[in-house]
Amino acid sequence: MIVAREEIVSQEYKYGFHDDVTYLVETKVGLTRQTVVEISGFKAEPDWMLQFRLRAYDHFLARAMPTWVPENVQNIDFSKIVYYRKPSEREEKSWDDVPDKIKQTFEKLGIPEAERKFLAGVGAQYDSEVVYHSVREELSKIGVVFMGMDQGLREYPEIVKKYFGTVIPPEDNKFAALNSAVWSGGSFVYIPKGVEVPLPLQAYFRINGENTGQFERTLIIADEGSKVHYIEGCTAPIYTTDALHAAVVEVIALPGAQIRYTTIQNWSRDVYNLVTKRAHAHARSRVEWVDANTGSRSTVKYPAIYLRGEGATAEVISVAFAGHGQHQDTGAKAVHLAPNTRSRIISKSVSKDGGRSTYRGTLKVAPGATGVVASVRCDALLLDEASRSDTYPYIDIQEDDTTMTHEATVGKVSADQIFYLMSRGLTENEATNLIVQGFLEVFTKELPMEYAIEFNRLVKMEMEGSLG
Amino acid sequence: MTVPTEASAEASIPDGASAHLGPVALTPAPLTLAPLTLAATPAPRPSVSSARSRRAPAELPFTFADAALAAALGEERGEPAWLREDRAAAAADFARLPVESNQLYTGYVDFRAADLSGARPFLRGADEPAAGADASLPEGAAGVIELRDDVVVRLALEPDLVARGVVLETLGAAVARDAAGIRDALLATPLPVDEKLAALSRGFWSQGIHLHVPDGVHVERPILLRWAVGTPERALLGRTIIRIGIDASASVIEDQVAPGPAIACAAGELVPQGLVGATSEIHLGAGATLSFASIQDLPLATTLLHQRAATLGRGATLKLALAQLGGRIVRSRIDNRLMGQGSSVEQVEIVFGGTDQLFDLTSYTRHVGEDTTGNLLSKAVLQQGSRAYIKGLISIEQTARGTDSFLGEFGMILDRKSRSVTVPSLEIDQPDCKRAAHASSVGPIDPAQLFYLESRGITPDEARKFITLGFLEPVVARVPLESERERLWGLLEAKWAQRRDEDAPAA
Repeated sequence: MIVAREEIVSQEYKYGFHDDVTYLVETKVGLTRQTVVEISGFKAEPDWMLQFRLRAYDHFLARAMPTWVPENVQNIDFSKIVYYRKPSEREEKSWDDVPDKIKQTFEKLGIPEAERKFLAGVGAQYDSEVVYHSVREELSKIGVVFMGMDQGLREYPEIVKKYFGTVIPPEDNKFAALNSAVWSGGSFVYIPKGVEVPLPLQAYFRINGENTGQFERTLIIADEGSKVHYIEGCTAPIYTTDALHAAVVEVIALPGAQIRYTTIQNWSRDVYNLVTKRAHAHARSRVEWVDANTGSRSTVKYPAIYLRGEGATAEVISVAFAGHGQHQDTGAKAVHLAPNTRSRIISKSVSKDGGRSTYRGTLKVAPGATGVVASVRCDALLLDEASRSDTYPYIDIQEDDTTMTHEATVGKVSADQIFYLMSRGLTENEATNLIVQGFLEVFTKELPMEYAIEFNRLVKMEMEGSLG
Repeated sequence: MTVPTEASAEASIPDGASAHLGPVALTPAPLTLAPLTLAATPAPRPSVSSARSRRAPAELPFTFADAALAAALGEERGEPAWLREDRAAAAADFARLPVESNQLYTGYVDFRAADLSGARPFLRGADEPAAGADASLPEGAAGVIELRDDVVVRLALEPDLVARGVVLETLGAAVARDAAGIRDALLATPLPVDEKLAALSRGFWSQGIHLHVPDGVHVERPILLRWAVGTPERALLGRTIIRIGIDASASVIEDQVAPGPAIACAAGELVPQGLVGATSEIHLGAGATLSFASIQDLPLATTLLHQRAATLGRGATLKLALAQLGGRIVRSRIDNRLMGQGSSVEQVEIVFGGTDQLFDLTSYTRHVGEDTTGNLLSKAVLQQGSRAYIKGLISIEQTARGTDSFLGEFGMILDRKSRSVTVPSLEIDQPDCKRAAHASSVGPIDPAQLFYLESRGITPDEARKFITLGFLEPVVARVPLESERERLWGLLEAKWAQRRDEDAPAA
């Protein structure tokens, strides 16, 4: 498989640059109890957080690697990873103070532009620490908190202590345990009661530094009756050994709140992306995961929503694009724990050049959750014979008045459609590209415009790669 | 309406954490601190197994199946060396394999309600009809074989079919009559090699049925295979081998019924349980057609482990219509292998669950040849704390161009104690397919249908019954013998009435 590996790396990657940053603080390679204590020490954390990390570390050691995840994930060597790196000493308040090297990287990613535009806040994660963060003044005025998780822990210890690890406890799964032990960075968002954030909050993440694991931890709390849209996009440079990204995202929608969390995941092809994302939706709240996975070598991610309060609504739109050497193991979970809750899951996947996409989903209706309405729809496109698509939906209903529908299809691009478009002057590749973009439109149309344009560009690049 | 707390909602899941989260949650753990806390020990449904000693859900509830028993069976039955070797190999497979070999489904195994520690296997099995056995044909049927435990109580086949080479006999008789002839069917069985419960029947069978229809022979009227089994404290492991030759056809009805009247037990007394292990090993030659209908109505204290597997040659057609009504725990696996070009399978399975029954049904449809068709439909009606775990996997291999495959899993839950789990899965390696799709739905009785029937003067009660039994009608319609169709309809009505009886005192 060495040949295949080189093919992956040799494919041109849009954001494939790598800056030489001097790391001021970093832990030794590998993970020991001492590593965990050091990370907590660097950050001068309260004791409860150190105890939380140690409890997670113990569980990580005790917990067996799940046997059903992609094989290359099972073979990750956790002893060859640097678990913590801090690229600059303090968090920067304004763009001018950000070190030039780092600034150049972000300029390539378009962050200043994004800020010049209308987007509300920018949080950029450079390796393991938040180095730049700004929130528009008006947002601060209305009480919106949007900062790095580490800063959040320092400035809002009560809120963090109350909610941190309650949606995804360290014992949830092996990768959540790993994240809980060594987490660093990520976003902390708190929207006060009744506040509607008019523009999306935006955070770019990237990994830098060979063998750096990135273990960001995001906690979003939308208080009663508030509304927020959070967007994250990922890009990362290419390296010759495998990088690991194990994130935990906890989202809490208190009664009547609305949260939309949008992700465009475009890690470079050597990243293992193992993410646990889960939301608690309380009474009458609405939580939406809008999730696209185009990058990484293997992704394991099933955004979940636990509908805990009466009348809550959940929606997951998940799209995946698996190209050469990639395995997108994605899906969604909706767990109905309260009466009159609704969920809708839409999943679309495209596999090509030997890529493999897997949908794994759970739909569960617990006893007592009466009047549930739920639907799941999974569609997969296979663009060639070397590729593969799997669909594994789990549907567990324990209430008699549930209304649940599930549908799934797998197919290829129809020759008729291609023929029609070619008769209108498109090349075969353009025609296929158009059809794939149309197939994924259920996702694209949910994005802000500039993201939609970028996403379509990404799809086009993936499609063109097939000819090269 | 009370809103459940998360703790209580989670704790009431009988299979504990693994069934709750399945593979999706990156394997679950018992949580201790979070609000969504799972109970430290899963609470079983009180009426199912509270009096039994605690076993892991996937642990088999019996221990008699070991290498010594496999050897004793070969010895006692005076079997040829190749068959003894096959038993020994199967016994080793049985010991080695996990009860669920597919990681997708490991969260959905639950034998805790079965207690078969005292169940004794049969050894000798009579190969020929007992003295005074019935040799008459049922009306409308071309052949019949009836086994009561391991005794042959009825055996008959139309003389015309005998003359044309059709064979209906016990498996033991087949080995004695023509060991070389049956050897391939026994050794090259379509049963899956990774399945522990297939190895159980292969290693420890003491009774069986062999039906062979030679090339070009059409058997017009149905042949009835009847197993009256499930005797308490006994374990009957049997195999059924059906071979339909090139361009031949047949229709078969399999009955699984109680061996005698139900044992009356005083209130609170535990009903002694029985074990039935069964197979349906189907070989279809090129152009062969088999219609196979099964009515399973075993005693409620029975654990049924049923393996069905079919290999389809070029242009062969298999039609399965299966009704699952009886048993305490029914764990069934169906493997349809569409090897030959243009072969097709149609499978319709219904479940009517009551009183804490568990139906754990998996079906695999593997498309290997080109232009093959699979059309699978499962329907479950659940009441009185019954559970259905319906798992289906369509796999389309790279060679299987032009596949048309559909899998539908539909449930109707009639009360709040019952539970439906469906896992309709797809694994696709060949994009050139006509159709690869599945659909699933769960819902209550459709109020619009109810309203329509009531507007025609039908009482609400009757209307509910019509809609529910109508939901299960697809299998009834596919049973080829009038008397058997009526029997199945009667069983469905009795099951419906059972619900009313139980509901009445509470009202």
